[in-house]
Amino acid sequence: MKPFLALVKRDLTLGLRRKSQIYQPLVFQLLVVTMFPLALGSGAKTLALIAPAVIWILALLASLLTLDQIFKNDYDDGSVESYVLTSYPLPMSVMAKVLAHWLLSGLPLVLFSPIIGVLLHLPASSYGILMLSLLIGTPMFSFMGSIGSALTMSLKHGGLLLTILVMPLLTPVLIFGASAVVESSLGNSASQPLLLLSGLLILSITLIPFAAAAAIKINLE
Amino acid sequence: MPIITAQDISCQRGNFLLFKPVSFSLDFGQSLLISGPNGIGKTTVLESIAGLRGLQQGRLSFKDQDLSKFKDDWFENSLYIGHKTGNKKELSCLENLRSFLQIQGIEVSETQAEDALESVGLAGYEYQMAGSLSAGQKKRLALARLLLVKFSVWILDEPFVNLDVSGCDWLLGILDNHIKNKGILIITAHDNKTIKEKVTSELILESVGL
Repeated sequence: MKPFLALVKRDLTLGLRRKSQIYQPLVFQLLVVTMFPLALGSGAKTLALIAPAVIWILALLASLLTLDQIFKNDYDDGSVESYVLTSYPLPMSVMAKVLAHWLLSGLPLVLFSPIIGVLLHLPASSYGILMLSLLIGTPMFSFMGSIGSALTMSLKHGGLLLTILVMPLLTPVLIFGASAVVESSLGNSASQPLLLLSGLLILSITLIPFAAAAAIKINLE
Repeated sequence: MPIITAQDISCQRGNFLLFKPVSFSLDFGQSLLISGPNGIGKTTVLESIAGLRGLQQGRLSFKDQDLSKFKDDWFENSLYIGHKTGNKKELSCLENLRSFLQIQGIEVSETQAEDALESVGLAGYEYQMAGSLSAGQKKRLALARLLLVKFSVWILDEPFVNLDVSGCDWLLGILDNHIKNKGILIITAHDNKTIKEKVTSELILESVGL
């Protein structure tokens, strides 16, 4: 088995056994979204208006819950050495870690988003665009998170620092992702923000593994 | 020409050199014990030799290649086991052993892994989660990797810690065998009377002083 696949398989096995990485973000989303109608106290119209922004912000916050775990566990138990002390390129291993993290906590957010949409009265015509935008956007949460996690993995409580580091980098994702859903809920074409979002994803795939690999090396010094 | 040579190497913590620069060279079948008081940098120097961190000064080479530039050959020939065992507590012993090596590109069959677990005294624990093992058993699980790789260089940081008497005897036997088979060993050990007799050379780290 290729090292890449071995790492993905190991992380998926771990994630499915721990489970918290999968259900925590979903439960968090569900809890927060039920607060909105209660606090706003107004009808479906207001909810539908804010739905795109709320869903995207919730997805961002929910994924922040698990980002620090990408490298922290491996650093704490020493298994980070298994992919640093090898001739297999570290950026590829970072890619494997990101892929596994997204499959465990990003993909469930995408699949769960229609339920959040229903709770916020999102127009039925926007569900496709909502899921598509999250499908392109959530991998970037994992990618950016890999840099943040690599930089903070040796800290005991690096969660807040990671959020401060990663959040500003994710604003473009939030802007284009939410605006895609807004456009489609207004009945306009969402192709422009979606294309920009895809461009950002390609940029992330090509550049971030190298940045995260460098961050891991710095942290081991 | 020795296989591994170190010239005036030293490591730093913060802005301070940890120990006086040291030099050594190792050929096949030779072994090195690194000793010195607590906090002198034994673990740090081992991590630097293994390739986890950089050296503050000096030059380390393997087969005449500078290790700060060419690491692939070194990684394919050396195995480092440090204080952290690298075991995942939610994986079984068998899964831990196999996945750790697979991530390094080393394919190990289930029977090979089972045999290795048996020889480190973990027979019957194959499907037990590593989180439920004792500290000594976790160490044994990590040391089982030694039996499955054909690397010529072993770098071991305090491998005897947490091992019981039979475990120490077993490990001494394995190390002996490795050196006899023209392997290279770089090791630190606190209770080093027995290991001192086995190794071919000893390196004592001394503090730089003020």
